[in-house]
Amino acid sequence: MKKSSSSSKSKRWSPDENPKYSLKKKMASRFLRSMKKMDCSSSPSTGEKGSWRYHAIRAAAYASMASAVGPRKAWSRALLKKIRNHKVMMRKSSSERRNNPRNIRRFGHEGLNDLSQVVPGGKAMDSCSLLTETAHYIKCLAAQVQIMKQILHYSTC
Amino acid sequence: MSSRRSRSRHSGSSRITDDQINELVSKLQQLLPELHNRRSDKKSAAKVLQETCNYIRSLHREVDDLSERLSELLENTDTTQAALIRNLLMQ
Repeated sequence: MKKSSSSSKSKRWSPDENPKYSLKKKMASRFLRSMKKMDCSSSPSTGEKGSWRYHAIRAAAYASMASAVGPRKAWSRALLKKIRNHKVMMRKSSSERRNNPRNIRRFGHEGLNDLSQVVPGGKAMDSCSLLTETAHYIKCLAAQVQIMKQILHYSTC
Repeated sequence: MSSRRSRSRHSGSSRITDDQINELVSKLQQLLPELHNRRSDKKSAAKVLQETCNYIRSLHREVDDLSERLSELLENTDTTQAALIRNLLMQ
């Protein structure tokens, strides 16, 4: 994979942090593996092919992130659990969650309440772990975006 | 900062000091592209948390968008782009 394609945004994360870089490698190989699997398997002949592929790739993106990190983080545990239960990934219905009275003002701080809704498993965390998990989740999510951009860049240039 | 209030009100987070929260929030601030370059001027915790939320949402949107583009790429089986990506997947 081309490393030169990294944008100005990406330069900040990767090169100085070796463990993070190997994590990113792990994520990339897992993502490519599941894309390969999906490419080889026959797509459903009827219905919306494109939409099927889109959902599969999106699910693979989050799955490769979570499985590369493993069960040592709460957000990845939450994601892996979701995948196991075959639920629709991510932001299933943010409006639904927002309307759930159980989640409103749990932290007594609007920012933390909002954060607990966008970070997987955030609802079950205390404020301290929510902040540390958020930092880790952001790094992984940014790395995943970078990986996908690099794959696109590789195949379109 | 309102986390002070939340600390006294919520027993679950009572072990955490304001200093710890501030430290975590400033760490978070450094991860945000919007606020990263302006580390000198201290943002309020509420502002940082809001920006963090927006950033995560934008990353989620980016994953959606990139998944869409990748699926379109694989859809067109006979183009050189698809051949390139297949080549990458076979490595």
